[in-house]
Amino acid sequence: MKTFIIRRLLIMIPMMFFISVICFVITELQPGDFATQYLNNPRVSPEQVIQLQKSLGLDKPAPQRYWMWIKGIITKGDFGYSFAYKRPVGELIWERMGWTVSIALLTIIFQWIIAVPAGIYTSLHQYSAGDYTLTFLGFIGISIPNFFLALVLMWLALQMGATSVGGLFSPEFIGAPWSWAKIMDLLKHIWLPVVVVGTAGLAGLMRVMRGNMLDFINAPFVTSLKARGLEEKDVRHHIIKNAVNPLVSMAGMQLPDIFSGTIITAIVLNLPTMGPFFYNALLNHDQYLVMTFLMFIAFMTQIGNLIADIALAMLDPRIRIS
Amino acid sequence: MKMLLVLLVLSLVSIGVCASDFVVDEMFTPEKPKLGGTLTIRLSSAPQSFNYYGTLDNAAYTIAAQFLRGLVDLNATTFIIEPALAESWEISEDGKEVLFHLRDIKWSDGVPFTADDVIFSMDYFIMNRFAEGNEIARFTIGGELVRWEKVNDKTVKAYLPEPYGAFFNVLSHAYIYPKHKLESKIDKNDLGSVNRLWLTNTPPQEIVGTGPFVLKEYVTDQKVVLEKNPYYWKVDKWGNKLPYVDELVYLVIQDNEVATAQFLAGQIDYMSVSPKDYPYLKQEELSKGKIKVFKGEPVKPTPSPVHITFNFDTKVPELKDIFRNERFRFAMEYALDRDRIIEEVYNTLAVYGGTPVLPSNKAFYNPNIEGIRRSYDLKMAEQMLDSIGIKDRNNDGWRDLPTGERFEFVLTSSNVQEHQDIAYIFSQDLEKIGVKVHLQILDRTLVSQSTLSGDYEAAIGAFGNQPDPQLRKAIWQPGNHLYYNHLSTMNKETSEPIFEEMLEWELRIFEDFEKAQITMDQKLRKIYYDDWQALYAYYVPFIYVCKGMELSAKQSDLSNFFVNEEGVIVYLNETIFKK
Repeated sequence: MKTFIIRRLLIMIPMMFFISVICFVITELQPGDFATQYLNNPRVSPEQVIQLQKSLGLDKPAPQRYWMWIKGIITKGDFGYSFAYKRPVGELIWERMGWTVSIALLTIIFQWIIAVPAGIYTSLHQYSAGDYTLTFLGFIGISIPNFFLALVLMWLALQMGATSVGGLFSPEFIGAPWSWAKIMDLLKHIWLPVVVVGTAGLAGLMRVMRGNMLDFINAPFVTSLKARGLEEKDVRHHIIKNAVNPLVSMAGMQLPDIFSGTIITAIVLNLPTMGPFFYNALLNHDQYLVMTFLMFIAFMTQIGNLIADIALAMLDPRIRIS
Repeated sequence: MKMLLVLLVLSLVSIGVCASDFVVDEMFTPEKPKLGGTLTIRLSSAPQSFNYYGTLDNAAYTIAAQFLRGLVDLNATTFIIEPALAESWEISEDGKEVLFHLRDIKWSDGVPFTADDVIFSMDYFIMNRFAEGNEIARFTIGGELVRWEKVNDKTVKAYLPEPYGAFFNVLSHAYIYPKHKLESKIDKNDLGSVNRLWLTNTPPQEIVGTGPFVLKEYVTDQKVVLEKNPYYWKVDKWGNKLPYVDELVYLVIQDNEVATAQFLAGQIDYMSVSPKDYPYLKQEELSKGKIKVFKGEPVKPTPSPVHITFNFDTKVPELKDIFRNERFRFAMEYALDRDRIIEEVYNTLAVYGGTPVLPSNKAFYNPNIEGIRRSYDLKMAEQMLDSIGIKDRNNDGWRDLPTGERFEFVLTSSNVQEHQDIAYIFSQDLEKIGVKVHLQILDRTLVSQSTLSGDYEAAIGAFGNQPDPQLRKAIWQPGNHLYYNHLSTMNKETSEPIFEEMLEWELRIFEDFEKAQITMDQKLRKIYYDDWQALYAYYVPFIYVCKGMELSAKQSDLSNFFVNEEGVIVYLNETIFKK
């Protein structure tokens, strides 16, 4: 197991290097740069734009800029400098990490708490009214765009007399020290992003769980367990244990999906996460910030896969890691 | 005798207080205030810095305007220059020297404000070409810089290379920074180091100012809290110290719908409203009465007036000649249905005043241009096109060039909804008179890149209005880099104007700006700018479409926020209070 983890971590190095090249090329292909957007500001003369490009190193050839960036990461752990914020990129991303990770994890927990029991129920009660209802609700979740659902739920909340809509706290609690009242206020707000972001992935998870359960219900080992006279409850336990495995591997991919796929939803819900921040960095041509964010998502995907593999091996000893 | 002495001392002290305090224009304080409380406003994006000169970020500007002040102020409603950090000033007879007497006040941390702060700000921020958002161009007259000199602790002198009419307007945007807080942090060998001061991770107590509020707290991407500056120097007519509220909170809300929802939930005290949301909010006002919605005459630079322009330097030789022909541009103005655009695109919430100077700007607006502007008349448009030889020669329904080729051009527009809609309506009308238009809808950044590099045929754009035309000289005067319909009037290498490239009327506009710049006589300046506006209205290098009205909404309990008799929305954060 140790060798496996070490080997996987070592493979990640060339992979991340390759990804860094792609990230650089993608951001480089975006027309213009941070300084050229100053051109249509009447306060700024074209000479000043050239001066700014020079001071930000934007006049240097692309390969040189790439090399300087990557060298900074390898030698100093320095991911570069945000042109707009004039602060190290790593610091800026770190400031926004807390809520981003919290919301992503809560969303995954929410999805699992709903999807696993719902998948089990629908498989055990195949073609029943309950099966159809849950499947229908799941597909609605997939088909309604997150941002639209967010707007509808906020509108409903407002109609029902909510005193604060969107965000994670009421304005008076933003930045206030932690207290019981602040926790209660957070609970009043956080369900909305968790439900909105969670509904899209929920149906997928539920259908996978249902499908797996159905596969195993008629599997030969289940027939043999039943033949040995095992109680129905225990048989189910075995079926569920086997059916949940593919879900674990899916979980590895969920985390980066939630980070990167909810940018517009995070803007609509006014969440202090990395989504809106990344969106603005893209608009601002804040190159190193954009590249680092893209690298971060790629890194999370790799870590997610690794965690999923480890979890799978731990859950099912029959899976040999090689 | 003792009593008399005490009275004398007391009266001297009170005179001292009055001398340094400034009574705010009473138009902002019609209602007697209730002091205290919090004012909450929306900020549409998180600030990238708190340094006005270290960034080009609107959120940073909004915040900086609350805690910093300049030597003079521009009255937000009348555009009249008022004393600010400079209590008074004297202009020499030749108009080249201005002596400023500074107010005897303190920074928000209690340190006295002096002439050193002014000189420091001019050197390291305002006129430092390495500061990202510097204003050196505005302090350069005829290629020479304004020179500043400290006379004594409370007096500074400005030496102008030429008399400079817009000097005070320019100064009203030049904020003074605290030397005692910043000087030690600047790397004197790297003047670009000023850009790295007052960033978003700076402890709020390090950021001091002379404005009504002072920074108290910044919660990343969520809110900015400012509190009352105890040393602020403005009072109202009753003697109350401004600001009225204790705290000013900016909530960072990027999405318009969420901002509207927060406003309706009562979490935001006032906000600007989009034309799209106006009818709904008006309905809310009428049904529930908790809010009040205003439709004001446009006063502010934003939203920018929209214009249509044709590239005099386009790469297609036939089009170049046609676009330079004023009769073609007359035809295009006749084909522009402003009424339909105001009705359909702006929900009737826009005015004709789509000109470089707004009608509400009493100091510079030339009302005669109303008579010059061409109204929608497709017959006249057809006649004009016929007269320059753009006719349908093969009876296919489309107009052709004298060479027999079809007359067609590409109209570039950004994907901003209003611009797209205007482009569509305009092209529909042109098709009615046989002019083929190809619409090219691009991202906003791409549009400004192609227009500012001269790579386009016709374009829809928008530039802001400013209280003083001089502040937007780079846009309106031929021979500048933002006069993008005729970029060949400027030498790209030297940025010098090329007079041989200018048409006769463009030369006149150039001179109008040059003359208006070097006179301190405001009446004379208006005459020059009147001529410029008339020339623009007649020759239409930019065909102005319209200007969105100022739409605002406030909670009903918010006072000193109203529409005046002239239809202008009047308020200041420092005089607003809650009943």
